[in-house]
Amino acid sequence: MSDREFAGQTAIVGIGGSDFARLYRTPDPERTGEALATEAIAAAIADAGLEKSQIDGLITGGLPHYEPVAYRTGLTDVRFVVDYPQAGRMCAMALMHAATAVHHGLADYVVLFNSVVFRSQGVKFGAQPQGLLYDTIYGMASPGAQYSMGFTRYQAEYGGTEEQLGAIPVAIRSHARMTPGAIMQAEMSIDDYLASRYIAEPLRLFDYCLVNDGAVAYVVTTAERARDLAHPPVLIAGTAGRANFREWYVDLGFWDEACRSMKADLFDPLGVTTDDIDCLQVYDNFSVSVLWGLEGFGFAPKGQGLDWVQNGRIALGGELPVNTSGGMLSESYLQGWNQHAEAVRQLRGQAGERQIPDCDWSLYWCLSALPGATLLCRDGLL
Amino acid sequence: MSGGTGYLKPLPTVTAEDREFWAAAREHRFVLPKCQACGHVWFPPYASCPACLSFDRGWTEASGRGTVWGFTIMRQPYIPSFEPELPYNVVLVELEEGPMVYSNLIDIDNADVACGLPVEAVFEDATDEITLIKFRPV
Repeated sequence: MSDREFAGQTAIVGIGGSDFARLYRTPDPERTGEALATEAIAAAIADAGLEKSQIDGLITGGLPHYEPVAYRTGLTDVRFVVDYPQAGRMCAMALMHAATAVHHGLADYVVLFNSVVFRSQGVKFGAQPQGLLYDTIYGMASPGAQYSMGFTRYQAEYGGTEEQLGAIPVAIRSHARMTPGAIMQAEMSIDDYLASRYIAEPLRLFDYCLVNDGAVAYVVTTAERARDLAHPPVLIAGTAGRANFREWYVDLGFWDEACRSMKADLFDPLGVTTDDIDCLQVYDNFSVSVLWGLEGFGFAPKGQGLDWVQNGRIALGGELPVNTSGGMLSESYLQGWNQHAEAVRQLRGQAGERQIPDCDWSLYWCLSALPGATLLCRDGLL
Repeated sequence: MSGGTGYLKPLPTVTAEDREFWAAAREHRFVLPKCQACGHVWFPPYASCPACLSFDRGWTEASGRGTVWGFTIMRQPYIPSFEPELPYNVVLVELEEGPMVYSNLIDIDNADVACGLPVEAVFEDATDEITLIKFRPV
């Protein structure tokens, strides 16, 4: 269970990131993962209104090794260092670690980042050397094929059509079109979605997230210190994790138990309910991840998520906007890190034409082998 | 697709942990690791029991029967040696004994592959050393 006393004691006070669209159009192998991380760190520290010398904690992510960024940023004498391996699932874990560290005084200001160079380095998310269940000998390749298996099962249990699933990427694309720096700016209708080619049927190209370069960094400190900084603090109301290691990856219950566990950890100590949540900024590696999280966290009735997402409900202006900057399907595959940056903008009231009126609470989840979730809110609510 | 050097698709990397599994498959036997301490049956063939951590591993003959939990029809050419077969099915089979395995369904059109389909194991000799376990509808 989460600690009620810990809720709201820490905050995200700075965010920084890359121009994803420009990097996508013009991949630049000389802008290395370390260079992209350095740019994002500099931007996040400046956004917080801090001096670099005040940073005394560093959480690195996505790079082959943690030291090179320390040298390039001069963060060579910090008193708290953690390195996360390259894996999409680590954003909530890194935030959990950062918040815990500043809450307990292991560091005063932690900078944390994720940096990826998938596109310029030609990284493929296809066949693994073998896979945990001898995947490749059967031609099983790519995480998308695993989620696709989940979707055929979901359809067998609950029904629903591919056209209904398309409502998720279509809504998220409409948000990217309002986001400077988002990679996918072309309008996408449900017909465009249905015309896109199958990758692992029944999932299509537009059910899949992007593969691109970029970095995102945050600065985390205590809520008390946050109140003296440049922007309104965005409080970390809670973080939760619940592993779901399965050799075949997709949970047989569509992550229901993981979602229930994380929801209880995040919501119950605070008395928060789904009705309180103003937006979802979630891990949309594949469209179906959004569907299963909506049901698992209790926003949509079990088995009825495809009906639930129709008619603009998850688009800006709807009841529960999802991934208001375009998520990983259309803004950038920064693996949850761009979603939290957008959550911070929404909760600060800095999201421009995408701003959700009176946005108080934002929820994140990642349904993967290592599910994580975070709950962020404006100051004064806890 | 029998025998010899003509097999171009990926083959398993046989290790100390799963050597006995592949040796049995070569004899057209489908065996699963079974804990001699607690009776748990698991897959893939890790050396120790995930339930009780005992390394006292034995083997049990699988019935070869199971049901299709989920499937996908692969359309993207991720693995060059599979390209001539596109589109092909991959299934996640829930074995009668409990474990989940990936495989391919044979003797069926892709359009007829369905969740819940009862299936049984068949053995396909890929090379002199390796026999793959696939499934067909019962």
